[in-house]
Amino acid sequence: MTVIDTISQFLPLLLSGAWATLYVTSLATVLALGLGLVLELLNGSSLAPVRWMVRTYVEIMRGTPVLIVLFMLYYGGPSIGLVVDPVPAGILGLGIYGAAYFAEIFRAGFQSIPRGQIEAGEMLGLSRTSIVLRIKIPQMLRLIIPALFGQIVMMFKESALLSIITVSELTKVATQIVNETSSIIEPYIAVTVIYWVIIEAVARCGLFLERRFSHGA
Amino acid sequence: MALNGQPRVELAASDREVVIEVEELTKTFGPVPVLNGIDLKIRRSEVVCIIGPSGSGKSTLLRCLAFLDPYTGGRVSIEGQLLGYKQQGERRLMQGHRELAKVRRNVGMVFQHFNLWPHMTALENVALALRVTRKLKADQAEREAREALSKVGLGDKAGNYPSQLSGGQQQRVAIARALAMKPHVILFDEPTSALDPELVGEVLGVMRQLAVEGMTMAIVTHEMGFAAQMADTVVFMDRGVILEQGSPDEIFKNPRNDRLKQFLDTWRTRSF
Repeated sequence: MTVIDTISQFLPLLLSGAWATLYVTSLATVLALGLGLVLELLNGSSLAPVRWMVRTYVEIMRGTPVLIVLFMLYYGGPSIGLVVDPVPAGILGLGIYGAAYFAEIFRAGFQSIPRGQIEAGEMLGLSRTSIVLRIKIPQMLRLIIPALFGQIVMMFKESALLSIITVSELTKVATQIVNETSSIIEPYIAVTVIYWVIIEAVARCGLFLERRFSHGA
Repeated sequence: MALNGQPRVELAASDREVVIEVEELTKTFGPVPVLNGIDLKIRRSEVVCIIGPSGSGKSTLLRCLAFLDPYTGGRVSIEGQLLGYKQQGERRLMQGHRELAKVRRNVGMVFQHFNLWPHMTALENVALALRVTRKLKADQAEREAREALSKVGLGDKAGNYPSQLSGGQQQRVAIARALAMKPHVILFDEPTSALDPELVGEVLGVMRQLAVEGMTMAIVTHEMGFAAQMADTVVFMDRGVILEQGSPDEIFKNPRNDRLKQFLDTWRTRSF
């Protein structure tokens, strides 16, 4: 059985897997970006305990394999009375894990904004909130687009681990086809091609945004 | 665009109202003293040029006048209001962001490195604070921003991003941005030091025009020609103190302080 045969024979299954990968990872990425930004804004707080909690969260998440985070949520959840379905558990796990990385990227972005731009805002009477919303965040986003999309690509690749907690995404689908057809290489090549298409599309979005916001780089 | 200053020379300089008053100002960075007791008055419509060697504390002094660097002793008042601190019984507490913004509402600042926001066009750079701080409606803010840009000769560059402008043009946008807030005084921190030599003139030209129209200005500069021509008062600093201050004639033609004489000699030799 060739790769082409595999794709044509299992197309509906592969597409549903691709959709699951896109759906789960996109939601996880949105969650991770939002939570990551909140974490980083809290990290700029003048209250030391708040900063300390953010640092601890980031360090723990960055020091833990994402698979462990997923196991704890999915298999460990019931023991503390928290029963989660595979898909929400996957989104949540991947999201809270990615948030730590995004928070670090945001931090690097904020740090590379020249101090003088903030001083200019202060001298023009802008409030702290206006400085964050109108100067820091737009500038930070522009500076971090390459790193940000690198991490989003990582999120898509990490999402393969969701197969282990039984989410029917691409990798799970490939394993299923392997079991049904007893050919091994072809199904995995087929999903690799699909992963590659998705990741290439994400990377191109990144390049487009990078060019679009390149003034003053 | 109407400026807030009155025409110059009507009053004897010493009778004009004090805009910025500096008393016994000291500043340390950790254990290192940078300013060691500065007294200075800047009056309405006065142009004060602060000169001195590198490391003399002149930029730090200017930044203290805006509280961008918090001073450690003495006081700075802007039109009678204490800048940066509030007295609470015996103790002096730092003002919050909002209180500080209120006291320096009428102080504009122009930086050595322009500090324009690169993600906004020239027009947006100027208009932002008009909308956010002065709370003008979008069309009114845009109109005033365009006027300010025209005033610095950049009416046709409103849609350009900073990266599409020369250094001299960027600095003029920065001046327009400060000016559009209708400040009572503008502080210039080495406004031409980061510019290619052939671009210095256009920026000094704009500053000269402001001076003639009566804007109150404090300028840290290495442009001795500009100081000699435009300043009402020249202040010479070294090692965190003011060694001499006076009219340009007194400072440049009859310097009394030895350190100042030496500084001017070095500068004259260098300009050949």
